[in-house]
Amino acid sequence: MEKTYTEKIQIHKKNKLAGLYPSVKALVVLLYAICCFILSTVKLTEYELALLLIPWFLVIPVLCAASGAFNKCLKAFRAVSIVALVIFLAQSLLIPGGETVLKLGFLKVREQGLRTAITLSFMVMDIAGIFVWMFQTTENKEFSRALENSGMNYKATYVFISTLQMIEILGKNSKTIMNAQRARGVETEGNVIVRMKAFFPSLVPLVLGAVISSEERVLTLEARGFDVACEKTHLFNLEKSGIEKQVTFIAVLITIVLLVWRIYLWIA
Amino acid sequence: MDCVIELKNVTYSYPLTTVPAIKDLSVKIEKGKFYGVIGENGSGKTTFCALLRGFAPSFYKGDLSGEVLVEGRSTLEYGPGELASKIGFVFQNPFTQISGVKDTVFEEVAYGLENFGVPVDEIEKRVVEVMKLTDIESLAEKNPFDLSGGQMQRVALASVLVIEPEILVIDEPTSQLDPEGTESVFKIISKLKEKKKTVILVEHKIDLIAEYADEVLVFKDGSLVAAGDKQEILSDMSLLEKGVALPQVAILGNTLKEEGVPLKYIPVTEKQAEEVFSELITGKE
Repeated sequence: MEKTYTEKIQIHKKNKLAGLYPSVKALVVLLYAICCFILSTVKLTEYELALLLIPWFLVIPVLCAASGAFNKCLKAFRAVSIVALVIFLAQSLLIPGGETVLKLGFLKVREQGLRTAITLSFMVMDIAGIFVWMFQTTENKEFSRALENSGMNYKATYVFISTLQMIEILGKNSKTIMNAQRARGVETEGNVIVRMKAFFPSLVPLVLGAVISSEERVLTLEARGFDVACEKTHLFNLEKSGIEKQVTFIAVLITIVLLVWRIYLWIA
Repeated sequence: MDCVIELKNVTYSYPLTTVPAIKDLSVKIEKGKFYGVIGENGSGKTTFCALLRGFAPSFYKGDLSGEVLVEGRSTLEYGPGELASKIGFVFQNPFTQISGVKDTVFEEVAYGLENFGVPVDEIEKRVVEVMKLTDIESLAEKNPFDLSGGQMQRVALASVLVIEPEILVIDEPTSQLDPEGTESVFKIISKLKEKKKTVILVEHKIDLIAEYADEVLVFKDGSLVAAGDKQEILSDMSLLEKGVALPQVAILGNTLKEEGVPLKYIPVTEKQAEEVFSELITGKE
């Protein structure tokens, strides 16, 4: 028998980690971030570097692979790595203080710079990485349903989810605008200055267009009964993967162990 | 016929403006009739639609004098979302009518019914019906943002029709569409006419108005300058001076009549022209 449309829109995930209830994923993200802060306070080597943040990052590819989403996350990891690399270079080369650790021609990496660079860049890698895992293994409608189930106001849920969706749409629109500007003779490729010049003629129509269309979207929502005061129906139902309790237990346990260990290091 | 909407001496100005967008407008919209609204850009057509639906002044704010009555009750008295089940509204931009929170066309069309708390089984039934009516069943599992303008506009129409309002206000639905998209939207509009819905359609494509409308409302500078039966309004050459484009066949008919050609009546649609001119040539009725 053919499935109904309502049945077709349901999400059934075979992978239990990917299929975790969104609020459990959010808890994992939160605890992972807390662990990052704990680990960042543990200083190793004579330069007092937060080196434990580096192996801590390895948890993320393992988690992504175990969730069956490694390839999906790879592109986002590349982008995160570039940002982290820029932060690392800027921090290590620009922050003065302490002994010189490395000398590259006229560039010097100082102790304080290296310390901040490692902490900041790997914190970014770790925290952004765990968010990548969450967003790549959870669909927007899962977030939406979970937020409403958690008691969040449906208007706030709408704003949150439409913002997520709009990032992609605005990305597409910006490409269209760039193509249109290119057709009018605006140089969009070349060095940084050329790209900067092309940035504003592209950005202004994009932002203004988004602002103007938001007004009509409000009226569209009103025309579809968005404001009607009644119990809303949900066609999409969120499923639990069945390992929520175990994952919560493990995540909390790891956090407690790390916290206790850190306190022990302070005391000892 | 029953009057479903009535405007009594309505004057409306948008905030921060001194010139009213609508001036002393009184008009009655009757149940089951198809109204074509025409006029130059900036003549007040869209504001008229916003007043009918209650968007002005509740959303746009501004100053309103006079009364807009929907089923005998002022639009100002309706609570939030209450008018949505009575009056469907379709905008000109297909892109902004997509909610932005649904992944498939099926979910997009069903969104209004979810908001009204309609049971799941009924939603499925009603959405499938309206998708057939609007010929979008083949798009049901696609992402609404991946559709063409014409397809998006059909989804927007379906999303409003699924709520089953008795009155539909459609503001230039084809202004951003190609001829193919326009044709597909008008196929749906013709089905609404068959279903005896009350339709208020703003449209610049005068030939389409001539074909579908029962009555025509002509706006100029915020005032209603002509209103009545489409045959009478669209064959009135004086409207050309008011910036209204008349159907080509009506202009031709008027010119021939002025030249002394004995036409039975001034045609306003292609079909009428065919009838009138073939009668003229063959001499047979």
